[in-house]
Amino acid sequence: MTVREGDRFAGRQNEGAGTGETAAEPLLERSAERSGSSAEPIDRVGDDADGPLPARRPPAVSVDGLCKRFGEGAGAITAVDDVTLEIETGSIVGLLGPNGAGKTTLIKSILGMVFPDEGTVRICGIDVYDRPREAYAFVDAMLEGARNDYWRLTVRENLRYFTTISGVDPDSVRGRHERLLAQLGLAEKADVPVRDLSRGMKQKVSLATVLAGGAEVIFLDEPTLGLDVESSRTLQRELRRLVEEEGLTVVLSSHDMDVVETVCDRVLVVSNGRIIADDTVDALLRGTDRHRIRISSPDLVGSIVSELRNRFAVIEVEAFDTGGRIDVTTDSDGLYELMARLRAAGVTLERVRTVEPDLEDVFVELTSAEGEERTMRGLEGGDR
Amino acid sequence: MTAREAAVAETSRKAGYRHLARAVLYREFLLFVRYPANAVGGIVVALFFFGVLFYGGQMVAGQALTDSIEGIVVGYFLWTLSVGAYSSISNDIGSEVQWGTLERHVMTPFGFAPVALLKGVAKIVRTFLTSTVILAVMIVITGTTLELNLLTIVVVATLTIVSVLGLGLAAGGVTVLYKQIGNWLNLLQFGFIVLISAPAFDLGWMRLLPLAHGSALLQRAMVDGIRLWEFSPIDVGLLVGVAVGYLVLGYVVFQYATRRARRLGVLGDY
Repeated sequence: MTVREGDRFAGRQNEGAGTGETAAEPLLERSAERSGSSAEPIDRVGDDADGPLPARRPPAVSVDGLCKRFGEGAGAITAVDDVTLEIETGSIVGLLGPNGAGKTTLIKSILGMVFPDEGTVRICGIDVYDRPREAYAFVDAMLEGARNDYWRLTVRENLRYFTTISGVDPDSVRGRHERLLAQLGLAEKADVPVRDLSRGMKQKVSLATVLAGGAEVIFLDEPTLGLDVESSRTLQRELRRLVEEEGLTVVLSSHDMDVVETVCDRVLVVSNGRIIADDTVDALLRGTDRHRIRISSPDLVGSIVSELRNRFAVIEVEAFDTGGRIDVTTDSDGLYELMARLRAAGVTLERVRTVEPDLEDVFVELTSAEGEERTMRGLEGGDR
Repeated sequence: MTAREAAVAETSRKAGYRHLARAVLYREFLLFVRYPANAVGGIVVALFFFGVLFYGGQMVAGQALTDSIEGIVVGYFLWTLSVGAYSSISNDIGSEVQWGTLERHVMTPFGFAPVALLKGVAKIVRTFLTSTVILAVMIVITGTTLELNLLTIVVVATLTIVSVLGLGLAAGGVTVLYKQIGNWLNLLQFGFIVLISAPAFDLGWMRLLPLAHGSALLQRAMVDGIRLWEFSPIDVGLLVGVAVGYLVLGYVVFQYATRRARRLGVLGDY
């Protein structure tokens, strides 16, 4: 299915071309109904134990057949390749992938910051391309490598500004702002210009401004990038708590496996613009048939290490004064082969341990399998 | 009261364009009063160049310069207004792109366009404040006498610089698409000198360019003392038409550039 841009975005074009006053007011009305005037608070909590659940709500995010290519002809790059997914309300979903896998383009396409070539995206049931202004009342994002807020304003001024532009009167959510400032450890710095804060604090301010307007779905692109370990952990903890207490839906992209493993309910592994795995962290860890083997030997030197690197998924190598240690991820057949090669090379096994696989092992397995599959497809294509 | 109970007890209200206008204008006000160095620096640089122009010109041209000093003061006043309006809006858009805040505005119920227009209003007010100081100092330095009818000057000068505000919006849009071109577009402000000087020659079709017709009217208002209601309806109509025309053109270019940046995937990709 190919939708011409002119057709698809005709509605939005009309909204944007000077008729904003009339186009935006009705949706702000709806936004208010959603968040206030129908006596429903902006801080919504997903499942209320005291009462029956309402009729099934649409998924927080629903993506169908999303494609985005850059360039044309032989040099074209497919950044998002036929992605279809649904994200339930009140969950944290991790987008995991190597650099250049297409995570950021996928997020920006979902948000409409990048216009896709094909596909549809719904946020809280609203088509983000056909009715962007309505959909945007439910969503906010913290994008990678950007300040995302105004450093010359104070923390509190930023919260109030971004609340207003998200369609909510900041005076009506003062309490929420105070709670956010307290929860994120920013209360004492509330009246300090953001430029005077540490990098970790700035990142928290960025998160606070994303949460300030009461968006139900938030996208965080590499939220812990550049943070020290302590700041990263604090941010992860606060994020988890906010999701559990306030029923937010969070889509979080990171190439930090620990962050994803710690905070995410579910993981989407992205490689070459495609979703190659979609499951809970536990299921991904259980599902692997690979073993991570750690072998130490005085004979693990130069040539044999190079040979193993070429043949196996080598996670880590450490050289000692005599010999070294190597961590290899492989399946049963590979393990037999590994042992045979070590034996043939005359390697004396000093110590062999199996290590519980972590998300990184699963990730390496998935992305290397994807790489091999693409290579095979390429070869088959070349034969034709 | 737990955090959740507190959240439930709190009811949010919608924000309309009134709230948006207040937020954008208040932000501009805070930046203006909190960081006056930019404004003061601009005033000092503008006066330095005027000093060079005036005293240097006196040495070279003597009486000839003194005879036309009113026109030069008015033209310089309009130039500082134009540069202020143009560069502040185009540089502001460039900064918003760099900071990632333009993307955040785009994905809100309001979008960035009304914010850009409100910023434009703030920039005009701001540039009027600084240019008024420059005008006052120029009058003192040169000892010249001008007709200072506030209503006429504000209306004519505002409508005149709205056209360059449109150009600034368009330049900001081009910066969204081609990030490094922004600095080069700042050179355009030197072209404003030609447009402001145009009334000295036969205007003709040049009336349709930004600034030229407005500059002629402002000269007549400030040098000859013509009041707003004494201009012909055609003159005023043309002034309004040029202002609206270039503003709409700038807006359309900005919207087109933003949409194209989204299609190419370069919005905010600094």
